[in-house]
Amino acid sequence: MAGIGFELRKLLRKDTLLGLLQAYAYAGVIGSGPWILSIVGILAIGLLSHAVVVPGVQITQFQVSVTWLIASSLILTGAVQLAFTRFISDRLFEHRDELVFSGLNGVLMLTALVAGGLGVVLALTLFSGMGVVYRLLMLSGFVLLCCIWITTILLSGLKRYGAIVALYAGGYAVVVVGALLARPWGLEGLLAGFVLGQFLLFFGMWLLVVWHFRSPQFVSFEFTRIETLYPSLMAIGFFYNLGVWADKFIFWFFPDTSSAIIGPLRASVIYDLPVFMAYLFIIPGMAVFLVRIETDFVEYYDRFYDAVRSGGSLAYIETMRDEMVYAIRQGLLEIAKIQTLALLVALVAGPAALRALGISELYLSLFYIQTVGASLQVGLLALLNVFFYLDQRRIVLMLTLCFALANFLLTLVTLRLGAGWYGYGYCAATLLTLVLGLYLLDHKLDHLEYETFMLQ
Amino acid sequence: MSEQAFPKAAEADVALLLEGTFPYVSGGVSSWVNQIIRAFPHIRFALVFLGSRRSDYGEPRYALPDNVVHLETHFMHDDLGRHGIEVAPRAGNMEAFARVVALHEAFRQKGTPDLSAFEALASELMPGGSLTSEDFLHSEQAWGFISANYRRFCTDPSFVDYFWTVRIMHLPLWMLARVAKELIPVRALHTISTGYAGFLGALLARSRGIPLILSEHGIYTKERKIDLYQSEWIRDNRNVFQKDSTELSYFRTMWIHFFEWLGRMCYDAADPIIALYENNRLRQVADGARAERTFNIPNGVAIGRLSALRAKRADHIPPVLCLIGRVVPIKDVKTFIRAMRILLNRMPEAEGWIAGPEDEDPGYARECRELAEGLGLGDRFRFLGFQKIDELMPKIGITVLSSISEALPLVILEGYAAGVPALATDVGSCRQLVYGLGEEDRALGAAGRVVGIADPQAFAEAAIELLQPDNWHAAQAAGIARVEKYYADYMMFDRYREVYDRALTAPVASAAEAAPLRCPVHRKEGG
Repeated sequence: MAGIGFELRKLLRKDTLLGLLQAYAYAGVIGSGPWILSIVGILAIGLLSHAVVVPGVQITQFQVSVTWLIASSLILTGAVQLAFTRFISDRLFEHRDELVFSGLNGVLMLTALVAGGLGVVLALTLFSGMGVVYRLLMLSGFVLLCCIWITTILLSGLKRYGAIVALYAGGYAVVVVGALLARPWGLEGLLAGFVLGQFLLFFGMWLLVVWHFRSPQFVSFEFTRIETLYPSLMAIGFFYNLGVWADKFIFWFFPDTSSAIIGPLRASVIYDLPVFMAYLFIIPGMAVFLVRIETDFVEYYDRFYDAVRSGGSLAYIETMRDEMVYAIRQGLLEIAKIQTLALLVALVAGPAALRALGISELYLSLFYIQTVGASLQVGLLALLNVFFYLDQRRIVLMLTLCFALANFLLTLVTLRLGAGWYGYGYCAATLLTLVLGLYLLDHKLDHLEYETFMLQ
Repeated sequence: MSEQAFPKAAEADVALLLEGTFPYVSGGVSSWVNQIIRAFPHIRFALVFLGSRRSDYGEPRYALPDNVVHLETHFMHDDLGRHGIEVAPRAGNMEAFARVVALHEAFRQKGTPDLSAFEALASELMPGGSLTSEDFLHSEQAWGFISANYRRFCTDPSFVDYFWTVRIMHLPLWMLARVAKELIPVRALHTISTGYAGFLGALLARSRGIPLILSEHGIYTKERKIDLYQSEWIRDNRNVFQKDSTELSYFRTMWIHFFEWLGRMCYDAADPIIALYENNRLRQVADGARAERTFNIPNGVAIGRLSALRAKRADHIPPVLCLIGRVVPIKDVKTFIRAMRILLNRMPEAEGWIAGPEDEDPGYARECRELAEGLGLGDRFRFLGFQKIDELMPKIGITVLSSISEALPLVILEGYAAGVPALATDVGSCRQLVYGLGEEDRALGAAGRVVGIADPQAFAEAAIELLQPDNWHAAQAAGIARVEKYYADYMMFDRYREVYDRALTAPVASAAEAAPLRCPVHRKEGG
């Protein structure tokens, strides 16, 4: 998200209420990221076509199919996203702009090859009982989503936030409209609309890259060279996405909480909707996180390293370090405040929302605890971001690994404990990782000058 | 000569510790080292050359004499550029750093320094000790010490410059400790300067209990000060309000103190401490050398070979002033050039020559050429490059030195022996060489003229006066008499023969005497 701070500061500098609102709205949309938009899109299709698609089970099949596509593509490309962004920013630093376009094409080709290969294998084995059209649509959706995540993270690395949001809005509008128009063809119709929207979204983002980084070379595989590979970043991306989805997968496969929806794909009606709804409640937290970390923190971060490099006094360097600590503390505190508010809203609106979705109010507590967990996850994201700024990849890797493991194990434990405990596993895993991260950050910042100077 | 071709031996008699001189750099001190090694063919020498960076030196400038049985080279600033190596945090040895603190406190005390803290620390610097270079570079103890000292003492605001000054300054000490540990067995040590080489000598003498001879040509600390005054690379970050032009930048002061302390450690361990001439001996005593260990051995020249050149001289006095030396700022060649302008106005037939290499400081050499051209000296002023003394001497009338710093310049003595008087600035031993030291010496007369530094007018007038035939012949006779009586090479060799004999027959210090260097834990065991 580097670079967004500049845009935000520009808005904040206006020093008006409108400027402030704009900044937070901007940060909210960008921060909560494309995948929140995806959730909104899928929920919207569900709500809009609830009355018109017959039989209703096809909507569920559609939603579950898309959810699986999103989860699996995020985990698969998690290994590439961060590492590739780092590769591109290093090349931009070297003024080798032509590698943005050709490098993207290279990584897309590789991704398409891997994702496509995997998809074909799955289509011929696990999905062999399904219709040919369904399988083709799922395969193309999978490959498209993989390419979209990579292009998205590249564009956000290039600070094209506005364009990303606009393209996502456009893409998902097509998905919704297309799905509604194609609903006479049932599940395949809905999926076709989804794939069409995704295709347009991907193509639009790709054109944006072509437009800004025209290059004589069409494709380059330089990022596969061993010295430009960042194994730690690859592992971080993979484990983070795995961690985010671990509890969901477990709920999808545990017999008591799930059911087979279509082919090999399973879902957990009681778990999924509360979880996805809970994610909608972290949008304000993401906004605050971006504004605080990317403006205040980054400002003192820059001053700290400027002072180190260009001969500031030790007292000044320490003051900047203290200001960094203060900015982080304020940021986390504000995230906590705004998420408390979001939680209150969730408490009030929860019962009505579940009723509208036709879910038993027995699962209200699950929704609440998921909202708490998701709020903690915002704090965790903020923390990981700070560690990325301090270039502490080893710590980030440790935290994401801890998150994935804890989420996996604790969710299993809650399944044993019974329905009253559902959701506590995920929540405890984020809390545990957050506390561990805070402890490590505390230690890291305490020793920041020592490590900056003495470990070189 | 590649490093593989260096002679290597399992042991030797005398280890010569050479910092930035023989065999890689040509100049007065290197010639002297060459002379000494060749004068004692029965002594097997091991040479330890210390340089800054490998890339600063080309091929050796001297052929190694046969009795050099061992040569090793070490470059102190080569490992500074390590990058990208991931370093793990480390705590550092608390006890060792407590002693570092004690040593630095001792440095700050006025009066006679207590170097016992150094003795206790020196062996800990060596591989396997409790104060490793990794601890110095990366430990929290070191960080605490460096940042605390910055807060207490540093008057320059830039922490990063302070930090790197401390690092660059101290890091060679660990390299030297390793060299000291790994050097082949020798019976005596001879260092030709204080500074890093002198520190290495102190480490070796303390850890092995063998005698350390110190011969100082210039005064290392003083020469370093001149370097440091002139060096632009030492940062000064005070702004215009903080800056007091009479006050040196803090980092310069740090460097000067650092070299002063290296010098003290060397003086503390060395016996004898040999100066070239009286002024330098007094300076050594003022800098902390114990007076009873000091004495002078002046340079000497080969009278026999050089006196033969007198016969080759023409009958008339050639109106040629020749500066024999490298074209570098310390020689202040520009003053000579300016003086030539004044001289030529009065004596159009005069000529100025410079015989010496120009490659050491090409920028300065270019400035000198431009100055000579700008002053319109034309063909009356010539840059000859390196010349053979034996061919040069018969053609010149006066050897000149316009330096701002000298020790005991051999070229003046060589000139005397070849029948050429000298005109020199009042630096180093020049006054002693021209006018004589004691009663007896002074009675021989003036062998030339001495003028103040950076004074072209006085320089030119002295040259005119000296070129008057009566004055010149008197000076020539005085020069010949003085060099033959006091500065013949065999006299120098005799003195050094005594020095070496004493050192090589000295009983190896017993373990008890070398004890201060052992680990303090074991010392307690020994009672």
